[in-house]
Amino acid sequence: MIVAERKPIEKILEMVAPYKKILVAGCYGCVTVCLAGGEKEVGILASQIRMARSKEDNPIEVLEQTVERQCDAEYLEKFRDNIAQVEAVVSLACGIGIQYLAEKYPKTPVFPGVNTLFLGANIDVGKWEERCMACGDCVLDKTGGICPIARCSKHLLNGPCGGSQYGKCEVSKDVPCGWQLIYDRLKELGQLDKLKEIIPPKNWLRAKGPRTLVREDLTLER
Amino acid sequence: MGENGKRNTRVGIYLCDCDGKLSKKIDFSKVKTVIQSKADFEYIRVAKRLCGPSELQELSEEIDKYSLNRLLIAGCSDPMINRRIVEVAENKGIVRYFVDFVDLFALSEGKKDATEDAIASVNETLDLIGMKADVKIEELDVVPDVLVIGCGIEGGVAARAISKKQPVVLIDGGLEVTDGLDLVKGAKNLTVKTNAKVLRVSGFPGEFLVRISENGKVIDQKFGAIVIALGAQPVYDKSKYGGVELGGPVLSLSQFVKSRPECAGKRFTFVLDKADQDSLISHATVLREAVALKEQGAADVNVFYIDMKVTADHLEQMYEKARSVGINFLKYVDDLEIRTTSTSATVRYREPFLPDVGIVEVTSDYLVLAEDFVPFSVTQELAEIMELRLGPGGFFQEDNVHFLPIKSNREGIFFVGSCHGPIHGTELTREVEAVAAEVGRFASGKVRVPALQPRVEAEKCAVCLTCYRSCPHKAIEIVHDESLNNMYHSAARMHPLACRRCGTCAAECPGKAIQLPLYTDQEILTKTKKPPTLVAFACENSGALAAELAQKLDSQFQEKFKLQVVRVPCAGKVDVIYLLKALERGAEGVLVFGCHQENCKYIWGNKRAIKRKEQVRKLLEDIGIERDRLEFVHIAANQGNQFYDAVKAMAEKVRQFGTNPGKVVR
Repeated sequence: MIVAERKPIEKILEMVAPYKKILVAGCYGCVTVCLAGGEKEVGILASQIRMARSKEDNPIEVLEQTVERQCDAEYLEKFRDNIAQVEAVVSLACGIGIQYLAEKYPKTPVFPGVNTLFLGANIDVGKWEERCMACGDCVLDKTGGICPIARCSKHLLNGPCGGSQYGKCEVSKDVPCGWQLIYDRLKELGQLDKLKEIIPPKNWLRAKGPRTLVREDLTLER
Repeated sequence: MGENGKRNTRVGIYLCDCDGKLSKKIDFSKVKTVIQSKADFEYIRVAKRLCGPSELQELSEEIDKYSLNRLLIAGCSDPMINRRIVEVAENKGIVRYFVDFVDLFALSEGKKDATEDAIASVNETLDLIGMKADVKIEELDVVPDVLVIGCGIEGGVAARAISKKQPVVLIDGGLEVTDGLDLVKGAKNLTVKTNAKVLRVSGFPGEFLVRISENGKVIDQKFGAIVIALGAQPVYDKSKYGGVELGGPVLSLSQFVKSRPECAGKRFTFVLDKADQDSLISHATVLREAVALKEQGAADVNVFYIDMKVTADHLEQMYEKARSVGINFLKYVDDLEIRTTSTSATVRYREPFLPDVGIVEVTSDYLVLAEDFVPFSVTQELAEIMELRLGPGGFFQEDNVHFLPIKSNREGIFFVGSCHGPIHGTELTREVEAVAAEVGRFASGKVRVPALQPRVEAEKCAVCLTCYRSCPHKAIEIVHDESLNNMYHSAARMHPLACRRCGTCAAECPGKAIQLPLYTDQEILTKTKKPPTLVAFACENSGALAAELAQKLDSQFQEKFKLQVVRVPCAGKVDVIYLLKALERGAEGVLVFGCHQENCKYIWGNKRAIKRKEQVRKLLEDIGIERDRLEFVHIAANQGNQFYDAVKAMAEKVRQFGTNPGKVVR
């Protein structure tokens, strides 16, 4: 899941400073699950903006609306009536949703209400941890199901650096060394020999620019 | 009014004059006429004294005669009387939840004529009953079988009592304690499995699916309820007796009880209060055993003690009897010195009351030493498997009065006996009665409950698990069903028999998909649409009751402080949005009243409320609004004064702050 957190209110207030009527746009997808941009957070932010502006004697009207997902055009369509009435939108979706919303409504300024942080797991209520960096070339089969890109601070592919001490990463004593985790897991699985295989460097060049995925076997010819 | 026999909601209204006390201020015939002209109900009558036996009988008959399924009782607010009325109603199949009361004494206090107030209040309550109209009573199929864990005396007593009404499976829980099995010999409806442990429990009350391994063979069986009666383990700790080892003349109390030595002509000494300081169990056992020894011809029986604990039924009499049969009770203050030979033991101590006597030595043939009680080693594992919370000393059960005596953090799972802290025999009897009554609800295989558990709007449910994880009672499941209208075809579901209706899940839901009937966001936000100066969200287990007391102390108090009290089933139901909205809509200050620490009926509702208070304070602070306009107050139901003081303090605080700058004027 995509994990995001609400931006500090002062940043959001700065963005909407010139406007008198805005929409706070939520998403029932990942940002609801990570408690950053669902219907409840929309209500909280809207209240906060109204009160802050009221305090400055500069009232603002804030509409609230949440849709299924902001990364699908059909759902973004649901915002049309409300967006027609406002001067700007604060989106609480992830970076994807914010951009796609902006793209679909080119005449209305769209601002981010959250910082999109990482792809992670929800460990417990209020706790999230990064697990994947979407490198596009998964090596989890070679590393005991633990990702060296996401879990090693240096994204090393072939074993730890010299900063691995007592199972921890030199970055912080609270961060386990990703390669220690990989070693322990492979040992448990009896697959330590997998470590002998050299994983070649990944191509981070993005020679083709931003990634796209087109599956000719699925695309719909209308 | 009474013509429409098909109406689902058939309300009976009773206006009780409380033996002529109320008609001085209230014109009952006018109330009746006005209500008759407007409201929608089945039957109305003015009663002289509804709580009298003949009128209660009449009420019971009228429920049948007019097919009433809702009652509105306007009269006094005496809880004992209310309970009696509820009892009559429940006997006629009207659940407690559908009996509403209007306190006419409270609303007429300080007034000359309260007729209009009474009319208004009855009408309001009728509206409330209307809102409850679509609450259905669900009849659910349940498994009557009960699993009792623990084959000791306590487990045996519980299993035998329960088996009188419904089938019981009694297992030893993997312990080698089987002294309760004699008690269930020949009991019908009862199956014993030894060397049997619980491996997994899934499902909900009425239909728990339990995986049991019996002698290594794994079986799955359904049970409506589970009773844990493992007992506690006596442990001799020699460090409490100056290193004295058991053996020869020295016995632990449990060894002594198990194999009582030949006593004729022998001398016995018991030592209490070195171990097991917290319970009555050693005291009760020693009193019983000492009397028996004396009656069976022991030459001399001594009991060393610091404080004689007799605070349970019959213990005081037992103590008196022990004295009368000539047992020596020796109070000690300083340490005891114990010396042993192969055939005798001597306790040396300083007599605290008779200075001339000084040091005394008591020698006997047997020295019996009390032991501590600890939870059996399987407790922790069983707690994890069944998702039960442990309390002080690692015993079962929350350290929280709401759970006494037999409740766990989950519906349908109960504790009996010393597994939740050592208890004494008469307490056990009471616990067994209570647990048999609780599980007895399932005996017929059917149970009726008002469908008041939170409802989930699948369209908004992101199946994020926030509610599932936040539920203090493990009452939530994620169900998959093609009819559920979201991308997952899944949604959270609150189980009607597992849910205790605290509303914590509704307040936690990030998608606002969960609504608790009678306390929906819409209802609460409508109530606080135009808040006065102060708004107090008050837990019905503490704050709301304290507010009523405060009102009794000063009937004008809400008007004086311009206070609105909004009742919630638990502070855990108070949503961040409620707090923000109250301030946004113009309240100057907001209070949340919840129960004291470790005293939340719903385990952590008060803690969640405190977290939300902190969250909102930060939200306010970030936009330059005084964070102290929001306060959480721990309170108990009887603390009317404290409620008053907290409101007064907030009123004073917001007066100093001046107008709430975040108020949004529309």
